[in-house]
Amino acid sequence: MSRRVTEVAGKRLSLSNLEKDLYPSYGFTKAHILEYYRRISWFILPHLKDRALTLKRYPEGVEQEFFFEKRCPSHRPSWVTTTEIAQDNGELMTVCLVNDLNTLMWVANLASLELHVPLARADSPETPDSMVFDLDPGDQADILDCARVALILRDLLSPLRLASYAKTSGKKGLHVYVPLNRKEVTFEETKTFSKAVAEVMQRNYPDLVTAKMAKEHRKKKVFINWSQNDSSKTMICVYSLRAREKPFVSFPLAWSNLENLAGQRDPEKLQITHAEAASRAEAMGDLFREVLVKKQKLPYL
Amino acid sequence: MKLSSGGGNETAAQGIWSGTISFSLVAIPVQLVKAVEPGRVSFRMLHGKDYSPLLRRMFCPREEKMVPPDEIIRGYEIGPDKYIVLTDEELESVSPERSRTIEIIEFIDMKDVDSIYYDHPYYLVPSKGGEKAYSLLAEVMRRANKAGLAKFVLGEREYLVAVKSMEGALSLITLHYSEEILPDEEIAPQDGKIESEEKSRMKKIIKEMTGDFTPEKYADERRKKIVKLLRKKLKEKATVEAPAVEEEEGGGPVDLIAVLEESMRKVKKSR
Repeated sequence: MSRRVTEVAGKRLSLSNLEKDLYPSYGFTKAHILEYYRRISWFILPHLKDRALTLKRYPEGVEQEFFFEKRCPSHRPSWVTTTEIAQDNGELMTVCLVNDLNTLMWVANLASLELHVPLARADSPETPDSMVFDLDPGDQADILDCARVALILRDLLSPLRLASYAKTSGKKGLHVYVPLNRKEVTFEETKTFSKAVAEVMQRNYPDLVTAKMAKEHRKKKVFINWSQNDSSKTMICVYSLRAREKPFVSFPLAWSNLENLAGQRDPEKLQITHAEAASRAEAMGDLFREVLVKKQKLPYL
Repeated sequence: MKLSSGGGNETAAQGIWSGTISFSLVAIPVQLVKAVEPGRVSFRMLHGKDYSPLLRRMFCPREEKMVPPDEIIRGYEIGPDKYIVLTDEELESVSPERSRTIEIIEFIDMKDVDSIYYDHPYYLVPSKGGEKAYSLLAEVMRRANKAGLAKFVLGEREYLVAVKSMEGALSLITLHYSEEILPDEEIAPQDGKIESEEKSRMKKIIKEMTGDFTPEKYADERRKKIVKLLRKKLKEKATVEAPAVEEEEGGGPVDLIAVLEESMRKVKKSR
């Protein structure tokens, strides 16, 4: 195995297998992945900060076996920030917090192409700072159907004084986030609220939307997965790469942009590649910033 | 899917605790890290009929129902159906104060400590600025064949520990308290008449079987076989999937539903 020791911000980091092609049908090596995360670091780090990272590692690339790793790998450099979180059985588990560039580089070097984080910060694991609608197209539905649902959601929530923000999942779906950023919010509330919204959507658009998990209900429809609003669940972090044939990214889209793209009926335009993600973020700034700071209240609970 | 085949050989830098080793006027900043990772293969318990993962819950046999965590307290059993109840506060009041030092009380000969006292091993890693003092202590203890006997608080307990030198590094091993060691007086047989002929024969056998300690020669065979079996089943795609948890429909706060329906009417009108 080839190794190279580098120094990021004065901290030593050993990088391995830089030439290994982890997206073989596209041609994207470990070095490319590190370069992408370095370039996007300014944008992604605030969204990873203080959240218990779940690594999704593809040591042999996107076409081979992967594994999730919630526990922070024990063979880690001493400068990696960690914290302890309680598991379901009450035992503590050490998890990584990606709070700086070094840690992001180290995590990327572990071939953790995808970075998944909970909706709550590690020191307040029961307090979601946003509510999410995970729009997942069933068989014979696509990302354009998701875009339609996302736009209806935006319009449905806006009279309730709830601004929302959309990003691509980097796979087939879209994610709509409603920032809350209030310390009294609980997952029980976000779950109750999002479930009510999903069911109202299903009642009013029965041919387009389902609020039910079971696969047989999802055909030709968009599943609004409200159950992601749970302390035990994680979401793909905005700006994270996805493990697909090409290095697509979970990327934020302005509503006007989404409206345009939905009108053009070209699903390909809703897939943002690594290069486009980096240059668009640099040009437009972080379109997901409000998700971290905007304070909103869920009414009528 | 994760299937690692064994503990790695790299030094685990998993800090469990950080503080200082101190004695006399010396203070060495260190981190305590794990030295062993038991290679046990652990399994999740599943419901056989649909592979749902199962949870452990506390069950009250009298009421025949599950007991929520806020109704659970601790009792020390003193006889059939008789307990002394201790509250969390009472337990906390007797816990040692958290401390940031491994206070060496005396230096001892490690030979004098029977291995029966050994409990759990850790490595000590020097923290920034402590490297020099760390190496000095490790080197001097190695030459003098001494280990530091220390008291040390980790979590809720105070431990008796030995700080040892180990090839230029320091290790820490927690020791059992003497009251934890079970008596051994009756283990050695009383009438120990030994014929010198038998003795020399035994000596000879041992000599013939003498080897250097090479732990790499041995491995947990059952673990190896389980991992091999798991790999094979993974390759054969002999995996099962738990069903998604289906939640019932309906409900939700009445006012919220009404407001959402009202908002929805407007959305539909404007489209």
